[in-house]
Amino acid sequence: MAMAALRREGRLLLISPVSYNSPVARSMINHDNELGLMGARAASTQAVRSRMKSVKNIQKITKAMKMVASSKLRGVQNKTINSRGLWQPFTALLGDAPSVDVKKNVIVVITSDKGLCGGINSTSAKVSKFLYKLTSGPEKDTKFVVLGDKGKVLLVREFKNSIELTVSGLQKIPLNYTQISVLADDILKNVEYDALRIVYNKFQSVMSFLPSVSTILSPETAEKESEAGGILGELDSYEIEGGETKAEILQNLAEFQFSCLLYNSAMENACSELGARMSSMDNSSKNAGEMLDRLTLSYNRTRQASITTELSEIISGAAALTG
Amino acid sequence: MASSGAAVPFWRAAGMTYISYSNICTSLVRSCLKEPHRSNAANREKVHFAISKWSNGKPESPTIRSDSATE
Repeated sequence: MAMAALRREGRLLLISPVSYNSPVARSMINHDNELGLMGARAASTQAVRSRMKSVKNIQKITKAMKMVASSKLRGVQNKTINSRGLWQPFTALLGDAPSVDVKKNVIVVITSDKGLCGGINSTSAKVSKFLYKLTSGPEKDTKFVVLGDKGKVLLVREFKNSIELTVSGLQKIPLNYTQISVLADDILKNVEYDALRIVYNKFQSVMSFLPSVSTILSPETAEKESEAGGILGELDSYEIEGGETKAEILQNLAEFQFSCLLYNSAMENACSELGARMSSMDNSSKNAGEMLDRLTLSYNRTRQASITTELSEIISGAAALTG
Repeated sequence: MASSGAAVPFWRAAGMTYISYSNICTSLVRSCLKEPHRSNAANREKVHFAISKWSNGKPESPTIRSDSATE
């Protein structure tokens, strides 16, 4: 709804092209619109006035969008902080191995469905393109899973044949773990992978977002890595309850880890999106305010110039009659 | 109960992943709640998204997953 209103105002702005910066243009406008006493004054100021009205409306809309984004941000931020307990144990247990070299990579890119949120979607797309180049090579296979419409648009031109799944409509209801876990389940059922990399924007503050990648290894890869030592190698020193084998545990863990990390990444990306939207709408309101000031000045100048012209004509006409 | 890796739990033999298993358990626990907490918890269970599989660079028509309970 806000988008439709913005589009309408934009069209109004385009239809009334007024170059209000050059004095020559201004006087030309006065001479050209000589439609009679009332006409001369009304026509040129009318253009500026309609432009001022549409800029003011745009400013109202962007201010409202900023308020909406900031109120939503508070809720999502709380949820994100509460969800930290889900994935921190995983990092402590299994580590994060971004430099692992495997044959089948699946890159999950999290973007937004709606626009007007600054540069976060394009940075995510850039990072995923870079990851693709990094992980491709002979015998290696990289596929994309795209969440969100904006990412789909950004990646479809170059990587049409590598996209495996796209998901949209995620933001119709507030994010919850169940939704993300069903999505994770769908992804796991549909792609084969040795390593999953989730690309998202980490939320650091309202102004700054850090594009980040989290890596999840498939159970077979984790097994291989654990033999190589490092954090994963410590896995054997843990006691496993339940009498299942290590491969079984690793598989359960890998699936659960994917679901939790996807939930965390989706929440952080949602925070970043709302923060970016807040700051970009704030900037647009400020720019609209400045534009309004400039337009008001030029409107007053035009008005005063036309009044002066009228006066001088009347006076010279009166002088011609009497003298 | 200790096995040499041959036996798998019943849910994995039936084709479910760990995620779907835990979701079903969660919805069971949520349905044990009493009324005001029950509807609050039901809010946390809503699912809605549209997923579409791509083949050869073309998307197929999306399937909408919209259930208010877990699968």
